[in-house]
Amino acid sequence: MKDVTLGQYYPGESFTHKMDARAKLVLVIAFIVMVFLAKNFLSYIAVMLCVIGAVLVSRIPVSKMLKSIKAIIMILIFTGLLNLMFYNGETVYWSWWRFNVSLEGIIFSVKMVLRLVLLVMGTTLLTFTTTPTGITDGMESLMTPLKYIKVPVHDIAVIMSIALRFIPILSEEVDKIMMAQKARGASFDTGGLVSRAKALLPILIPLFVSAFRRADELAMALDARCYNATPNRTRYQVMKFGWRDLLGALGTAAFVVLVVALNNNFWGAYRAVESVWWLFAV
Amino acid sequence: MNDNARATQEAVITADGVSFSYRSGEYVSRGVREINLEVMRGEFLVILGRNGSGKSTLAKLLNGFLVPDTGKVTVLGTDTSDDDKVYEVRSKVGMVFQNPDNQMVASVIENDVAFGPENLGIPREEIEKRVTAALEIVGMSEYRKGSPNKLSGGQKQRIAIAAILAMLPEVVILDESTAMLDPKGRREIMETVLKLNREKGMTVVLITHYMDEAIEADRIFVMNDGEIVSSGAPREVFADAESLKAAGLELPAASRISLKLAEAGYDVPFAITDEELADSVCRLK
Ligand SMILES: Nc1ncnc2c1ncn2[C@@H]1O[C@H](COP(=O)(O)OP(=O)(O)O)[C@@H](O)[C@H]1O
Ligand SMILES: [Mg+2]
Repeated sequence: MKDVTLGQYYPGESFTHKMDARAKLVLVIAFIVMVFLAKNFLSYIAVMLCVIGAVLVSRIPVSKMLKSIKAIIMILIFTGLLNLMFYNGETVYWSWWRFNVSLEGIIFSVKMVLRLVLLVMGTTLLTFTTTPTGITDGMESLMTPLKYIKVPVHDIAVIMSIALRFIPILSEEVDKIMMAQKARGASFDTGGLVSRAKALLPILIPLFVSAFRRADELAMALDARCYNATPNRTRYQVMKFGWRDLLGALGTAAFVVLVVALNNNFWGAYRAVESVWWLFAV
Repeated sequence: MNDNARATQEAVITADGVSFSYRSGEYVSRGVREINLEVMRGEFLVILGRNGSGKSTLAKLLNGFLVPDTGKVTVLGTDTSDDDKVYEVRSKVGMVFQNPDNQMVASVIENDVAFGPENLGIPREEIEKRVTAALEIVGMSEYRKGSPNKLSGGQKQRIAIAAILAMLPEVVILDESTAMLDPKGRREIMETVLKLNREKGMTVVLITHYMDEAIEADRIFVMNDGEIVSSGAPREVFADAESLKAAGLELPAASRISLKLAEAGYDVPFAITDEELADSVCRLK
């Protein structure tokens, strides 16, 4: 429960840390599109190079990045196995009942797992290098046009900010409640599905009670800080596009072009080199 | 120690015959009754009372969160029941609550401190200055860019105080802001509060059920069952053992010991601080 790396800022002064939050948000969306565009292994390698480059530039320790992968390891294994077993490939190596392990299946599941890993790495890079306040301010700024259709953009941003702030607090609280219930003899990891689900109830109820109490106090604290005092709220955090953002955008654009080019075999240009040709096929 | 030199004769907050009760449907629960008090500019006022004695209700009446059923509260001449002046009153009377975790809205300390001024529409450069000054006063400047999650309770509460100071209030009310802290955290907050009052001339209303936090006060109001049952300088209030007992409060250790010693026939005057007690015990033959 302590390992909630998602949404945990890693302080630093790197190139990426200094980029504008809005630029990073847009680039992450571009990155996600890029991951879904990638078709063959060469384009996946290009996306990987993009991620590696981004990690190096942001100076986030590799161990920190790996931790975010560790958090989804079960999902990765599950996805990998399911795709491996159920893919209807032609070159079947092994078959039992409904399960077929085929060459195409292996390739497909490796790609799926790779895709998930790349997605998680790219997006956690955003949360590692951008403060939650930065992310919410950036989103608010990007959503500004929605104000004209009466979307309460600022309120949404404050809600997100508070949610991010309270995730670690509530997860710590879950730990405490679990410990207290264990001390009373509760057990959370034995018995069937139903009894395990039932065992969660003594955690959820105190958690909800405490969350509502917190919400009550928080609402008062917001009022005490004059929340909604004026529609002409000012901003402490200045956001400014700079050369870093331009460079980041150009870099990302270059990789998107590269991925598309690799997907399309450089429009036949590489056909000349027969020995690498097969790479484009997988 | 209790020189009223800082306290002026100008009332910042006035409560005049204020009563308030909570109503939900048929059920009415008594909040506070017939409260009369004035908070003077520059003074350190302590409101003492046990759980449920109406301290929080009074605090909320003083900053306009609640509006009296009868009577009137004015903040710098503004009636708190004036709907157009709600935010003016709130920004003038800053309130710090009990649980430090539930008062922070941002995940970076400087952004949290800036939240109040942002809401008030203060220009950016000015906010920057206020954040710097507020963190300086509470001694948390070096944590400016950090996250509040890893701080101790006392440190978090100091950030909460800074966040209120950044709105440049005239009065700071602390509603049991030490109640959830360990002894070290409590000491930190008391030191911060005293520094605020003594060095910065801030008017402070400290609400607590710990009598030892009231020792340094200029004036004390003792509450019980929604009413003010006694008031005055700490020495006067502490000496009235009967009414304190009736209000369910316990004297500070130094006072209790001095009383016991006097009872046992030693020549020890009534003491309210540890130093005083030590002094008079040392003087014994
Ligand atoms: N929101 C509320 N609704 C109903 N009754 C309340 C509410 N808040 C406080 N009270 C009642 O008002 C009285 C005073 O409470 P409070 O001002 O919170 O005391 P204190 O802060 O000294 O513990 C108590 O009897 C309490 O039960
Ligand atoms: Mg209270």
